[in-house]
Amino acid sequence: MVETLIWILPLVPTVTALLMLTTRNRLILSGLDIGGSSVLAVLTFILAREVAASGPQAFGVFRIDDLGLIFLLLLAVLTLAVSIYTVGWLKQAVEVGNMKAETLRYYFPLVHAFVATIVVTILADNLGILWIAMEGTTITSAVLIGYHGHHHGLEAAWKYIIVTTIGISFGLFGTVIIYAAASNVMGAASSMSWSAIMHVAPRLDPGIVRIGFIFAMVGYGTKAGLAPMHLWLPDAHSQAPTPVSALLSGILIKCAILAIIRFQMITAAACGTAFPQQVMLVFGIISVVVAMPFILAQRDLKRLLGYSSVEHVGIIALGFGFGGAVGTYGALLHVVNHGITKAIAFMAAGTAIARYDSRDLQSIKGLLTVAPTGATLLMIAFLSLAGVPPFSIFISELMVLRAGIGHGDWVSIAIFLAMAVIIFAGLLHHAGAMVFGKPTATASREPEALSPLFAMLLLAAIMILFGLTIPATFDGYLQRATEIVVG
Amino acid sequence: MSIELVHTIIDDLGGLLLFTMILIVAASQISGAIYAVASQSLFIAIAGAVLATATGNVDLWVIAGITLIVKAIVLPWLLLWVIRRMDVKREVEPVIPILATLALAMVVVVMSFHLSASLDTVRQTITGNALPVGIALTLNGVLVMATRKTALSQMVGLFSSENGIFFTAMAVNKGMPLIIEIGVILDVILAVLVMTIMVLRVRSTVDADIADLDRLRG
Repeated sequence: MVETLIWILPLVPTVTALLMLTTRNRLILSGLDIGGSSVLAVLTFILAREVAASGPQAFGVFRIDDLGLIFLLLLAVLTLAVSIYTVGWLKQAVEVGNMKAETLRYYFPLVHAFVATIVVTILADNLGILWIAMEGTTITSAVLIGYHGHHHGLEAAWKYIIVTTIGISFGLFGTVIIYAAASNVMGAASSMSWSAIMHVAPRLDPGIVRIGFIFAMVGYGTKAGLAPMHLWLPDAHSQAPTPVSALLSGILIKCAILAIIRFQMITAAACGTAFPQQVMLVFGIISVVVAMPFILAQRDLKRLLGYSSVEHVGIIALGFGFGGAVGTYGALLHVVNHGITKAIAFMAAGTAIARYDSRDLQSIKGLLTVAPTGATLLMIAFLSLAGVPPFSIFISELMVLRAGIGHGDWVSIAIFLAMAVIIFAGLLHHAGAMVFGKPTATASREPEALSPLFAMLLLAAIMILFGLTIPATFDGYLQRATEIVVG
Repeated sequence: MSIELVHTIIDDLGGLLLFTMILIVAASQISGAIYAVASQSLFIAIAGAVLATATGNVDLWVIAGITLIVKAIVLPWLLLWVIRRMDVKREVEPVIPILATLALAMVVVVMSFHLSASLDTVRQTITGNALPVGIALTLNGVLVMATRKTALSQMVGLFSSENGIFFTAMAVNKGMPLIIEIGVILDVILAVLVMTIMVLRVRSTVDADIADLDRLRG
């Protein structure tokens, strides 16, 4: 039963994508979109219950444990919300000519092909399959990023595909090096399976594993948007169609983090926890510091959110870098919290940009008057991103901070806190300027579309719930995932 | 074949690979770089055949064959077709002078050998000097991608980067699992196709070269 589920899961978005190729009707396409995402979500929840009941499950090159499950659940929820959002967003985008009706039949299948590759990266136990699927996400999403077909979109798409392909080839080299080290120990029975490598990890040669980890870290770190390899991220996130931005920031960069965690665990077993943690800390600190000035001086709304993603991926890396049960739990929780919150932020930003027909922060003013619900959602998403209680990100940031204090790395803590405070002020300044004030004359006064609001409210409910209390079932997944990582 | 002979052949091929690498970095004409990367892929295919004979691993024959057809013939031909189709007049357009890039490439090669000299234990699983040569090829490919503005030069850099990884992967123990290698090659083909479409699309929709796309800042 569970084994069947594991191989059906990547097939769901694939089949959805193929079905979508058969029609041009926008209503049918949207129906298939929501239908496919719902099936994926339902199957994921069933799989989650099975894993909770009977532990990690493996099927061929695929394997699912509580660690992967957290990412899978995030993916399922975000895909469903994005599908619902797309209905209203698309209607508006087609009306103003941002999306051309005749190219839609390729847009939807590409989104689901993208989701399918993400599912495979999460389920992959074989490190080679992991890499192949990760490059698959690059190829599918590169086309989506350039989908609007204008100058900026194509530039962002080119930069994305080149920078992440360079990065990911480092990841492949890291994989080959770790495989070489493993086959040195395992001999003829060597395999690229992560769980098999984990079995022999304590006997691997530390020197070669260290080099392999550096390569893997730089490689998948590029995909995760860690500075200084983040160059593609603000461009891609800002130029992609809004639903794609939400998926890129919400789940794709988190999957790269999952890949890094897999390599970190091998490295920690082979040469102690100190070395991989130190590497994570360095990249985490650089990301938080690099993001700060760009957030403060930003004029483009979606770029602002892109740089904020760099900051939050940095915080996730800091959590794993500080390590221990608290840091790891906090980092995993931050993966979920940031994924949900950033998706709301991109969706709310997308509707605001459509309303003002501008992405310039200085021309978006008085959103509360023209679109009260959307403005409120944008405001709480920004408040959460800034780390204001009682929203979810506050909790996970606090845990990362607590882990840092336990770790006793005062320099990192000081830098992290200083940046968090400055970014807090910057984000609130930008959000206040957009939401309050007198709306510009050009702002559209049309009533707010229902489906985007519904999608955002769904995610906002999760965001607020996670800020107040973490549901016991989900807490169980996080606890067990933390045990898997910490050992 | 004796192990010593295989080591010697792999090391000789490694030398030839580094030589083609230098040709790529130094090329002032894009077509020159494409021919250099095609011959590099040819040497990789020969290395695969040698290792296949030595280890008796049939998978390596398949990989060598695919490398020969895809990387040494089809993809270079595709790039040359794009050049003719787009009537490319602009050549490699280096961001920093080619001589400086060459110097950097030399530093990379020396560092790669220095790095892997410290890894004695793994030498047993990787044939000859495949590891340092592989690292050097990968890093230099990245160097080419980072220091060239035109799309085609960046794609040539990508090929040689992938070649470096494949060379090392082939020389590990008995090579990577066949299915993984095929998946990787498939990904590379797809990535190159998407890039080619983008290059043509940029030309047709916004009437510019990839090298002119520099408006996204800050």
